[in-house]
Amino acid sequence: MADLEIRNLHVRTEDREILRGVDLAVNKGEIHALMGPNGSGKSTLANTILGHPAYEITEGEILFRGQPLTEADPEDRAQAGLFLAFQYPAAIPGVSVANFLRMAMNTKREEPIGVKEFGAKLRHATDLLHVDREFTSRHLNDGFSGGEKKRCEILQMAMLEPEVAVLDETDSGLDIDALRTVAEGVNKLHDETGMGALVITHYQRILHYVTPDFVHVMLDGRIVREGGPELVEQLERQGYDWLREELEVLTGAPEEDDV
Amino acid sequence: MSEARSTKPGAARQATLYRALDGAGAGDGVRTVEELRAAALAAYEHLDLPSWRRSGFWTTSLRDLDVESLQPHHVEADGQVPAVVAEALKGDEPAGLLVQRDATVVHVWLDPELAERGVVLCSLEDAVRDHPELVAEYFMRRLTYDRHKLEAAAGAFWTGGAFLYVPPGLVVERPFQLAYVIDEPGTAQYAHTLAIGGESSDFRLREYDLAGGFEGPALHAGGFELYLEANARCRLAHFQDWGGEGQEVHDVSTHVVRVARDGHCQWIPIHLGGRLTRQHLELSTAEPGADMRHRGIYFTEAEEHLDLFTVDLHEVGPTTGDTVWKGAATGHSRASYEGLIKIRAGAQESHTYLQTHSMMLSPRAKVDAIPSLIVETDSVSASHGGTVGEVDETQVFYMRSRGLSRQDAVRVIVEGYFEPIVVQLGDERLEGLVRERIAAKLARADEDIEAYAAAR
Repeated sequence: MADLEIRNLHVRTEDREILRGVDLAVNKGEIHALMGPNGSGKSTLANTILGHPAYEITEGEILFRGQPLTEADPEDRAQAGLFLAFQYPAAIPGVSVANFLRMAMNTKREEPIGVKEFGAKLRHATDLLHVDREFTSRHLNDGFSGGEKKRCEILQMAMLEPEVAVLDETDSGLDIDALRTVAEGVNKLHDETGMGALVITHYQRILHYVTPDFVHVMLDGRIVREGGPELVEQLERQGYDWLREELEVLTGAPEEDDV
Repeated sequence: MSEARSTKPGAARQATLYRALDGAGAGDGVRTVEELRAAALAAYEHLDLPSWRRSGFWTTSLRDLDVESLQPHHVEADGQVPAVVAEALKGDEPAGLLVQRDATVVHVWLDPELAERGVVLCSLEDAVRDHPELVAEYFMRRLTYDRHKLEAAAGAFWTGGAFLYVPPGLVVERPFQLAYVIDEPGTAQYAHTLAIGGESSDFRLREYDLAGGFEGPALHAGGFELYLEANARCRLAHFQDWGGEGQEVHDVSTHVVRVARDGHCQWIPIHLGGRLTRQHLELSTAEPGADMRHRGIYFTEAEEHLDLFTVDLHEVGPTTGDTVWKGAATGHSRASYEGLIKIRAGAQESHTYLQTHSMMLSPRAKVDAIPSLIVETDSVSASHGGTVGEVDETQVFYMRSRGLSRQDAVRVIVEGYFEPIVVQLGDERLEGLVRERIAAKLARADEDIEAYAAAR
């Protein structure tokens, strides 16, 4: 049994079905890439894994270490060891990055984290992300640039040490330096803590710096192709259209026949 | 430079009915305190209990208040600091402290060193006797006594009261603290604070309105007046928390601050509870170079009703102002904030800005936020803005995805919303007290907030 297991997941929002039967398994220590064109359902999957209330699961299930999470509150999923690096992180005025992190870390602990331990961890994380300590006294994502927000997501990931992290388009909108920093952070955490990761991306660029063990391609709410890193190169060269065409050849005719 | 955006207040707005509080006449030395008391009593006899009607759904009415059944309670002036005050001020080292319990000033303490340097802190009753020339010059210079029955009652029946005088040139770091406490049902507390900052003085002043442990109706009606002379600076805060199960305090008060040439006032009222509150808060930059910063917080819960009318009054130019109010409401409570910028004819080169924000935390709460602007001259810049919002579910999900419960996430959001104003109090103990009370209100409203989210 995989650490994070998604079985036949169907998800809809108010107006339409977005995921139409997704199967995916991510273990601790593994790096998975989930690729696909805009609108294919990648972000929906990311948000659904963490329990976003706007997405309704109509069929299938999500398991973490064998425990069903399909009905669990987002905070319970986080406390179990899941993490989502948001594509568009919310700004929370009035609470500093450091204070927020202390609160979040304490949700996983019996006793509140000590000042010394927290300070040491924070230093380690800020070094990793190449941000200065002043960064952590700013209000969470409030007035942050796009790059700062993404660094802040990875900083939180480093502090919270999840078992499996979902990174939703963390590479989009980043310049090459920021991208490298963010990728280094992911690699380091993977090496140090054995974190598993599901790296969702539209552009492939991040996959030059984070090498996936497994690659999944999503189209129209389904995973349509799986493979190793070589699949990334193929998509880079050929785009997604060939996949779509291939898929229509395979599924288009029989579906019509079924009707 | 002349971007005056005048808004036409609707007929029912308080702005339309506004008339300046240019005073009952004591300040010009014409009428004595006793003559004013007599005039207020005459007004009391013929005036009605007030109600303020603004629109179809908004009325603040005291017509049903059984005012005759509420009487000033005189207690023994035993020098004791009531527990509710001691708790609120715990650990503070003030420059002076005056406490009025019900109708009686029960405790006065002033740092002897400051007394030696000319500071006066005493009950207003004592000041009338001991400092008649100061009282005559300032008393009710900017307060009226005849707009409605409760104002007249305060003018006629005030007892105790607080008087603070900071002499010219004196700088005092530690705050002067005044506390009005109601701890008996049936009490009518007619309060009156008169504070004066002499030329180039610099000080902090706090007024605490607190209720402790009783059940039943009570009334706090009164006036607060602060006069800052040329180049004087004051950081003023009001902390109002009449709240508590069964404590039905009605607070109908008028607070006025007048800032003279080159003076500065930062005024932060904090409204955290009361069965029914109706306050008129007026900050006047009255002479060239005067500057004010007005910041306010309100947070209503349960069945509370709050009606605030603030005036940013520019009497001459150049003067500057900046007003920011933030509020929140839970339960069945109703909160209305109306903020008026008034720039008088002749006040050219006035620059001011007013913004008001409010947050609804319950489907049954009602919040009303109305900024308005009356500009009677040109060559000014004045504008206003306002928002009414709810808890942002994107923020809530973000924090929950990090492990925080929904309640904690909402607490962080609401505290973060108020925090930029709270920190401006610049006083650790008072800031802590405000945060503590906000957190307690949120904890009491947990179910309400969750139901609201589910219903949206």
